[in-house]
Amino acid sequence: MASLSYDEAAHLLRRAGFGGTPDEIDDLSSRGREGAVDFLINFNQIDNTSMQNLLTASFDFSDFGNNDKFNNGEIRRWWFTRMVATKRQFEEKMTLFWHNHFATSSSKVQDVFMYNQNVLLRANVFGKFDDLLLKVSQDAAMLIWLDNITNVLGKPNENFGRELQELFSMGINDVVTGEQNYTEQDVKEVARAFTGWDYQRRVPFTFQLKANQHDNGTKTIYGQQANFSGEDVITIISARAATARYLTWKLFNFFVYPVTTSAADKSTIDKFSKVYLNNNHSIKELVRAIFTSDEFYSSRAFFSLIKQPAELVVGAVRMLGGTYNPGSTVTAGSRTSNTLAQLSRNMGQDMFAPPDVAGWDMNLAWVNTASMLERFNFANTYVTNRNTTNPGVFVTADQLRTMTKASSKKTVKKFLVRLGPLSTDALGTLRTYLETGDNGQPVTFVNDDATIDKKIRGLVHQIMCLPEFQLN
Amino acid sequence: MAINRRQFIKRSAGAVSVSLVLPRFWMGNAALGQTIAADPNRKIFVVIQMAGGNDGLNTVVPYTDSHYQSLRPVIGFKDTELKDENGNSTILGNDPFALNPAMSELKSLYDAKRVAIVLGAGYLNPNLSHFFSQDIWQTANTSASGNGWLGKYADQKLVGQSGLSAVSIGSSLPKALYADKVVVPSIAPANGADPFALYAYQTDARFAGDKNNQLNTFKATNSRSFDSSTFVGALAKAGFDAEEGAAQLRAAVAAYTPGATYPTNNTPSATAVQFASALKMVAQIVTTIPDANLLYVQLGGFDHHSQEIGTTADNFTDKTKGQHAVLLKALSLGVKTFYDDMAAHGLADNVVMMTWSEFGRRPNENASKGTDHGTASPMLVIGNPVHGGLFGQQPSLTDLDSAGNIKFKVDFRSTYATILDKWLGADSQSILGAKYDDLGFL
Repeated sequence: MASLSYDEAAHLLRRAGFGGTPDEIDDLSSRGREGAVDFLINFNQIDNTSMQNLLTASFDFSDFGNNDKFNNGEIRRWWFTRMVATKRQFEEKMTLFWHNHFATSSSKVQDVFMYNQNVLLRANVFGKFDDLLLKVSQDAAMLIWLDNITNVLGKPNENFGRELQELFSMGINDVVTGEQNYTEQDVKEVARAFTGWDYQRRVPFTFQLKANQHDNGTKTIYGQQANFSGEDVITIISARAATARYLTWKLFNFFVYPVTTSAADKSTIDKFSKVYLNNNHSIKELVRAIFTSDEFYSSRAFFSLIKQPAELVVGAVRMLGGTYNPGSTVTAGSRTSNTLAQLSRNMGQDMFAPPDVAGWDMNLAWVNTASMLERFNFANTYVTNRNTTNPGVFVTADQLRTMTKASSKKTVKKFLVRLGPLSTDALGTLRTYLETGDNGQPVTFVNDDATIDKKIRGLVHQIMCLPEFQLN
Repeated sequence: MAINRRQFIKRSAGAVSVSLVLPRFWMGNAALGQTIAADPNRKIFVVIQMAGGNDGLNTVVPYTDSHYQSLRPVIGFKDTELKDENGNSTILGNDPFALNPAMSELKSLYDAKRVAIVLGAGYLNPNLSHFFSQDIWQTANTSASGNGWLGKYADQKLVGQSGLSAVSIGSSLPKALYADKVVVPSIAPANGADPFALYAYQTDARFAGDKNNQLNTFKATNSRSFDSSTFVGALAKAGFDAEEGAAQLRAAVAAYTPGATYPTNNTPSATAVQFASALKMVAQIVTTIPDANLLYVQLGGFDHHSQEIGTTADNFTDKTKGQHAVLLKALSLGVKTFYDDMAAHGLADNVVMMTWSEFGRRPNENASKGTDHGTASPMLVIGNPVHGGLFGQQPSLTDLDSAGNIKFKVDFRSTYATILDKWLGADSQSILGAKYDDLGFL
């Protein structure tokens, strides 16, 4: 069994989750590579009572019709509360992966369906892909989002049939061979197979096939002729090598490193896609293979991605041991500016509302002057928020004191480890900051309460403004 | 799509490496906070992206074409329905077209010869994917690879100008503005009185005396030299530009006084207010920063696969209401208000606007009172310098491709080329990679 160093364990937890404290990282490290991944993947064995208690105390989703307690702001607050408080980090991170993969937006879909879809994704994060794809396709959110409820016999609506192939399974072209995976005619024929797919307009909004609106004619799909049903199409698509490769490619880009079009990278994607094909389309086995691979722990993978906004805001709390106040119910239509959901939204990632059905673009797409200012200002808000009764995130003076050392050098190093561990040549500049007074003159660093409230908070802000901190 | 995105990321990662350690030159010679002098040679270009695939056939309506009526029995406009909210006809003179009745303001600009309509704009072998087709339009090539066409223009013409010579309004930067040599700032509008409120680097309010130390630390760590091909280099560059540019921009735009009344209070719609606010930010920038000449705004939501017309109240029958009408009203009102504001500031002769969308929609309506992805659609070019009227050619509704879509008549890059050559004084061939027709609207 391969060992797992502290830096590797920190890398694993940042990717499979949002990062953690030294205690959590040490615990993972002690389990070794396979053991740590097992621990994170088999998350049902991790006690999550504390989060459940927090959710019970903070939310009332008993009545979907009660707009004061169940609304747009509330489902966002609910998800971010989960991300910050869960002990089962991989469960939330995979839910985010699938939310981005099956990108559905509250811009068109009612909150209750967005919530239900999120619950569905979470319950199936590591299942067989065929099952997940079928469940998502038959769920009200997707049926509404891509107009399948108006896809009827004789008047097919192609929206779902197209994105099912382009975005949810195979991509337009095979990511390894470059071959075209389907034709415009396939889009039309696949759409016919899904005619009549609808949902019941009463709780719990179960899937129903409207038989009289379903096209029972012969369809020609990928060169085969039959009276294919929607279920048939999903089974066929899930078994295609192109799907295995596309999913592997997406997982790599999301969790490992940006994949290039080099022959070596194509070979890597092809290699891992076999795990999917050889294990009955098990997402769990594919993910396990990726997270225990040498590729995942290669120097190429470390800090090779740009943090998504949700990773940035949640990670800042989890890594530094910050405090999270979920606040009370958000009234319909109002958004509190200091909530994590709003902060993430300002940086370009509005949970439950990806920009379009392709989901969020990653890495440099997060980087522009507007979003960078949001990142810097989030850091400032987080570390200078001293009002612990307001909803939001903050760091207590007591918590900062545990990381503040006698010397400026040791203090800077300590915080760089906590917030990464980050490797940077800015250490000298950060020390200088700690040793500079209001008039710009040098002062001697003293680790007293006044310094902690002023300069240590400022130091954390400045570390979170480092370009290195934006990386994952 | 995937391959091109990756290539693009690689390119732009390598791109943003320009002189990290050199001091940036920000506001040119303009003194901040002062009214800027009129410059008859100033050429401002405002791009309006209509994201989602705008239904061109219900925007510039070929209402006399019997095939239009037969392909769209439910959502199509009859000649009697082509009247705006004041009862005025939106038919374009003696031509067989009308504007959507929601576009009364643009109709008045058209009548004043300020609007050129480029009919049938598209490209060969159209791609019906939103993402791929948007990339094609933004990069101006059908492989959708490389930097943005406006980014290439900026690399040729805006290097050495202030860091605010090109600005995008919105929380993400459109691919059209990805460049090699310049970082184009994007500004996310804030709710409330000051739309630029989010655009500032904040420090601990409790210790104002430490602010300079914070800023010095920030500038030092973000102006370090990094390998130009890395994400960390791009992050440092964008971060540094954000802090520097924000301070200068906020100081400059404070001098603005609106010269027109922009919509407020969700009237006529929240979308209209939002879009007009973005154009108001453009007005603030161009009236206070003399170098700011390339601006980009977005209006999204055109992907009307269903319920393109009507609302619940009218059981989805009222063609003057509904999702498409709301968006076209937002476009029309926003553009006209901005035009009036520019006129009030003496800049009406210095501004050209252009709209584009990744594709039009299918001529034959679907059963959901909507339309599926299509191909060619009209582009609008607006402003005093424009020769108003109809350009290009309307595609036939009887000569459809295998997907049932119209065949494009004018390459969209001809519109780009005409603007690049005749308005921006650039060399379109070197930017677009080929020579395209001058459409004659400038």
